[in-house]
Amino acid sequence: MHKVDHDIMPALDLRLTAENPDDLYEHAPCGYCSCLPDGTLVKLNQTLLGWLGYTRQELVARLTLSQLLTVGGRLHYEMHCAPLLLLQGQVREVSYSLRRRDGSTLPVLLNAVLQRDADGQPLVVRMTLFDITDRRKYEQELLRAKAKAEAQREQLRAQNEQLTRINADLDSFVYTASHDLKQPVHNLAGLFEELQRSATFHDPAAADMMGMVQGAMQQILSTIEGLTAVVQQQRQPEPGATEPVELLGLTEEIIRSLAQLPAHAEAEFALDFAAAPVVHMSRPNLHSVLTNLLSNALKYTEPGRRPRITVSTTLVEGKPVLSVQDNGRGLNLARHGGELFQLFRRFHPEVAGSGVGLYLVNRLVHQAGGRVEVASTVGQGTTFRLYLPK
Amino acid sequence: MNVLKRNNVNVSGTGTQPMVFVHGFGCNQHMWRLVAPAFESRYRVVLLDLVGAGQSDLAAYDPARYTTLEAHAQDVLDVVHALDLHDVVLVGHSVSAMISVLAAIREPERFAKLVLVTPSPRYLNDVGYTGGFEPGDIKELLDTMDDNYLGWSTAMTPAIMGHPERPELSAELNNSFCNTDPAIARHFARVTFLSDNRADLPRLRTPALILQCADDVLAPQVVGTYLHQQLRHSELVVLDTSGHCPHLSEPQATIAAMDLFLGARV
Repeated sequence: MHKVDHDIMPALDLRLTAENPDDLYEHAPCGYCSCLPDGTLVKLNQTLLGWLGYTRQELVARLTLSQLLTVGGRLHYEMHCAPLLLLQGQVREVSYSLRRRDGSTLPVLLNAVLQRDADGQPLVVRMTLFDITDRRKYEQELLRAKAKAEAQREQLRAQNEQLTRINADLDSFVYTASHDLKQPVHNLAGLFEELQRSATFHDPAAADMMGMVQGAMQQILSTIEGLTAVVQQQRQPEPGATEPVELLGLTEEIIRSLAQLPAHAEAEFALDFAAAPVVHMSRPNLHSVLTNLLSNALKYTEPGRRPRITVSTTLVEGKPVLSVQDNGRGLNLARHGGELFQLFRRFHPEVAGSGVGLYLVNRLVHQAGGRVEVASTVGQGTTFRLYLPK
Repeated sequence: MNVLKRNNVNVSGTGTQPMVFVHGFGCNQHMWRLVAPAFESRYRVVLLDLVGAGQSDLAAYDPARYTTLEAHAQDVLDVVHALDLHDVVLVGHSVSAMISVLAAIREPERFAKLVLVTPSPRYLNDVGYTGGFEPGDIKELLDTMDDNYLGWSTAMTPAIMGHPERPELSAELNNSFCNTDPAIARHFARVTFLSDNRADLPRLRTPALILQCADDVLAPQVVGTYLHQQLRHSELVVLDTSGHCPHLSEPQATIAAMDLFLGARV
């Protein structure tokens, strides 16, 4: 046998063969011990004795390994390790703390194997122990971090739940408010119209004031309609079914529907969808997006300049980009850019509006998997570019 | 709810009188495998896992329900009812010895005899009572369990659950016999080691065998003697072995003591 080894490894450094098995056992870089099936220690190596601070005579045939553990470890050993050894013949990587003679503790990892005699009766338990002082510190650090992360996750979950509830409450509040306000405001508008026709006012300023009341009423109605639109959109978490939408027809239809806006009559429209005549999106959503952008273009015109509105498509990396460009009064993006798509944010208080349009535009395009970009120069005009999915 | 599934009940044996085995803390019904087969020719052997252990329905472990041993006792009774068992020999190890006592107090008419393997009605020392442990020891046990998270945990079982077509993966699992969910093990350890059932003992009317090990850190001899005094119809047998699991370390002696108590021809 040995001869064969030498034949295989002729160049082996002779110092390696000088390793003495007894010395290897006694001074191995791990603790060794052997116990009777009842746990009584029968053999320990010098490394383990050194760790424990006991002499061989104090331990052999006197104590069991589990008596060298902390009480908690001993409980664990008796309830878990000892039965496992008898059931499966071995245990691996069990983490314990040895109690040294001086009372201090040493964290160790225990592997054990049960040897049986020829009749299958338990004969001896062989154990190896590894000093894991540093590793135990890391592990405890990890356990602490885990406990902390769990506590934080629980906190986040609670906060999330609270926010979701508040959100739902707000939604239903807005819904109820817009719903409940709509009817009385409509009634008020009807009554006011009737009053205008039948009543006579002697104050010369009355006609102006009537106009202002009418304007204010229109404003309330358009705000309520905007709110209703937002709530409807929010209550519909699933995006509408995607379909191919032919842009020219849709845009012309929307332009016709905006004829009541004062700027419409003199506005000049240029439509060019040659690059992408058809886009894939929910038709009602795209209708809402384009209606909002075009009505904005017609509302925020620069006084004294004939409105010119260009609606067109281009392809960027194979994907359609739908642009709505006007020569209106423009926006100071450096100042307002961050708030542009926020609900109820208004930038031109002198023009009637509800502050809902761009919020909806942004949400609907995002829901479709796209995004919105804005370029604008005060006094010159604004361009909205909708990057749509393929 | 299917009780037999919940407690992973396994029935074997060719006899008629039922013998129900309830495992202790830290393992599952595997613990009886050196003892239970010896009774299969003469009894109807029923093995079960406590809820939270082994292959029981872990989802059924509601910590709010299992804050006392009474809930486990009720589970044992549920199994007895589900199988319509009468004249039962109930064998409980460690904490389940007390669970068995509680079950037999609740429905004495169902049970013929109890076998209490290394029982203890209270692990903590008290005025005039030696249980063997101080609260700090239990804290240390919980810490040791935390340090051995992997050994106790099902953290590794997703590997098995994810590959039911590869059963060899489960064989590679370290210490796989007694794996359990670490959070449940922790909770059950607390319930076990903080339980105090001393006041229940005089209420037991069923004859009971107390199987005591000569050297058991968890259930010292003083505890066995105390139990013997408190249980009116009890016999105390001290097995010449150490440790907490004579049914594993001395299965033959355990079987012999049970046979003698149960009146079998030995």
